[in-house]
Amino acid sequence: MTQYLVRRLAQGLVVLFLVSLLTFFLINLAPGGPSSLVDMSTTVAERNARYALFGLDRPVHERYVSWLASAVQGDLGRSINQGLPVTGLLAQRLGATLALALSALVIAGVLGILLGIVAAMNPNRWPDHVVGTVATLGMSVPNFWLGIVAIILFAVELRWLPASGIASIGRGFDVVDRIRHLILPAGVLAFGLMPNVVRVTRAAVLEVKATDYVRTARSKGLRDVKVLRKHMLRNAFVPVTAMLGLITTVLFSGSVVIESVFGYAGIGRLAIEAANGRDYPVILGVTMLAGTVVVVVNLIVDLLYVVIDPRIRHV
Amino acid sequence: MKVRGTPYRWLVASLLAVCAAFGTAQEADTSAVLNLATNADPTLNPWAPGAVIESNLINTILFEQLTRYSPEDLTPSPMLATSWRAEDEGMSWVFELREGVVWSDGDPFDAADVAFTFNDVVLNPDLGAQSASQFSSIDRVEVIDDHAVRFVLNEPFSALPYYLASFAGIIPVHVLGEAENPLQVATFNKGTPVTTGPYKVSEFVPGSHVALVPNELYWAGEPKLAGMTFRIIPDLNTQVAEAMAGQLDVVTRLSPQNVAGIESTGALEVLRQSQNLFFFVAPNHDDPRLADVNVRQAMELAIDRQAMIEAILSGYGQVASGPVAPMLGALFNGDVQQYAYDPEAAAALLDEAGWTLGADGVRQKDGQRLSFYMPTGQFGDLVPATLLVQQFWADIGIETDVQVMEWNAYIQDVVLGRNYELTLAWWSMPPTADVAPYFSCSAAETGNNIPNYCNEELDAIMDEGRAALTLEDQIDAYSRMQDLLAVELPYLYLWWPDILTAKSVRLQGFPEITASAAFQHSFDWYVEAQ
Repeated sequence: MTQYLVRRLAQGLVVLFLVSLLTFFLINLAPGGPSSLVDMSTTVAERNARYALFGLDRPVHERYVSWLASAVQGDLGRSINQGLPVTGLLAQRLGATLALALSALVIAGVLGILLGIVAAMNPNRWPDHVVGTVATLGMSVPNFWLGIVAIILFAVELRWLPASGIASIGRGFDVVDRIRHLILPAGVLAFGLMPNVVRVTRAAVLEVKATDYVRTARSKGLRDVKVLRKHMLRNAFVPVTAMLGLITTVLFSGSVVIESVFGYAGIGRLAIEAANGRDYPVILGVTMLAGTVVVVVNLIVDLLYVVIDPRIRHV
Repeated sequence: MKVRGTPYRWLVASLLAVCAAFGTAQEADTSAVLNLATNADPTLNPWAPGAVIESNLINTILFEQLTRYSPEDLTPSPMLATSWRAEDEGMSWVFELREGVVWSDGDPFDAADVAFTFNDVVLNPDLGAQSASQFSSIDRVEVIDDHAVRFVLNEPFSALPYYLASFAGIIPVHVLGEAENPLQVATFNKGTPVTTGPYKVSEFVPGSHVALVPNELYWAGEPKLAGMTFRIIPDLNTQVAEAMAGQLDVVTRLSPQNVAGIESTGALEVLRQSQNLFFFVAPNHDDPRLADVNVRQAMELAIDRQAMIEAILSGYGQVASGPVAPMLGALFNGDVQQYAYDPEAAAALLDEAGWTLGADGVRQKDGQRLSFYMPTGQFGDLVPATLLVQQFWADIGIETDVQVMEWNAYIQDVVLGRNYELTLAWWSMPPTADVAPYFSCSAAETGNNIPNYCNEELDAIMDEGRAALTLEDQIDAYSRMQDLLAVELPYLYLWWPDILTAKSVRLQGFPEITASAAFQHSFDWYVEAQ
């Protein structure tokens, strides 16, 4: 097991190295440059002066080597457009994104699993159809549109919830206020992800339902709820866990759109601002952070398999 | 807000002050905090590279300039400078500075700050300061005494007081003078900068908001609001929703699509402001086909600009007859050659110039075709506008190969690299008729003269305007300049858009003429008590 962990962590480092290499060269090869260095009215002389100031006049490979040398020491450089250290920017935004992503994951996970079970226990009857319709809607309605509609309905018309931001300005840390600001973005984000969980749960439960051990349990006279809980769910959870792992990584990209719509200052918004503004060090920082999350989440999911299904062994 | 004396006395005093200031019995709500929005984290330094849309308006409140626009007619009026005059036949300008101004940290403001801002920051080519190229006529700024400076020029620049009112805030030498790069000091740009404006920063929470409180040291007294909060909301639709929910008092740069319905709650009003801003199609004058003025005039005649304004701007704009917008009043000359939509006249003009319709529907002459590479950037309405122009030109036998590019790539390749034959964009200029940075021969190739147009006759007239010391002489020169620009069409002018701002009906003392003027007069803003 230790050997397995060491191997996986080493693989993770190789992956991160390749991600940084690829990202660095791709963003530098893409046409355009940092938006703070060029706008409509910038003259060629001004552009050249600013490029020299930020070392962007050096060849790409040279810049990569110096970036990597600092990065291994934990220094991801300075944002070109904001003038602040990238690690600071990431740290500042990470908490907000984690809160949003975890809330959405919990909502999508709990609701998705419940609805999936309901659908699977009533295949091709009306509860299954209702769940199927909700799931199809969640799949097909785009996030940004649902976000705007939610704002108009809950913030403008009903005035139940705030339209944007992380917290009310001028108030100290207030848990209730934070949660009120989380409900809309997390809800919209979860609505788009839930269908995946519903579908996988439904399929897994249906599959387990048809197995011999479930039939045996039933024939022993166990009640439905107990069969579901003791015999079916545990076995159905392996694919569901895999799906939740996948979703966690998708949450990162989903939050890019949601955070912009809801003016929510997280990593996603940092990413989109950096990408639009060609802020190379920030793009790299966000990519590395996302890469790390994917590597770590995959590892955790693989380890969870063992807990859920002791027949799985990692060697 | 700091309250001196008993609250009661202070309240009476401020009410009296407000009544005196406005001559009416309108009451100001001195506890009001104004909520505004910006689309990204601002950079609190007016000269920092990239401090543009997201930073301009907040910096206008924080960093005062030598001059500001009069809210009546946009002529330069006193701000940190109290008076100015040209000397040496327009080769230098003396500005008398306001006495008794202190920075928000208590240090006095004086001539050294002005000299530092220009000599060490704007005119330092290594720093690449924002809009530095607009000040290239300045050689240096000399300190005469603590409260007077002399701008020494390398060529006459009669519009200097206008340009000094255009995003040209003064920054403090005692805070930034020692910095390795005064434009990249994070604690200043992204923290709590030292400023002279009526409000100062109390808190900057990245990604969330910038909070402003009254500057109790302000030279004209304390302002009339308890504070302002600039919330960072990237999505314009969300900004509009917040305003309609009563959470924002001002939304700037509305798109015409957002305007419909925003006044329905009765709490907001939409201002149709102007700006010296024109949309254009730039023909690349390095291309011999486009260097022919007949071809350019035919192309202008073939575009139904009024229809485009209806389609793209929902009517919020007017057909441009040149680069200088009507808001410039006396300096605007509308009596110039016009190009009302007339595709027949356009076709006739092209026939006359020898460009005849080929079998493929595209005009040609001597084996050359009127077919052009027309890149455009993904920004605002540039793409749909370009596609409409493409249609109009197809009708008279001009073919365009439209390529849509990502915005940053477009600026690098098309705007800086001049790699295009035709392209549609816009210029936003200070409110002056001095448009030399966009038209003169010296700005071709590497400056803001994107079409690389060069005409010595035009340069001579623009030099005359720059050297003119009286308004009459300026009107004379710039009137002839606009005549020539309308005939020559260095750019194919499209329209002057209305700049749309929504504001709370309770917010008063807010100049309506332009957004810049409104924010330069933030000291006068107040909220009516309910």
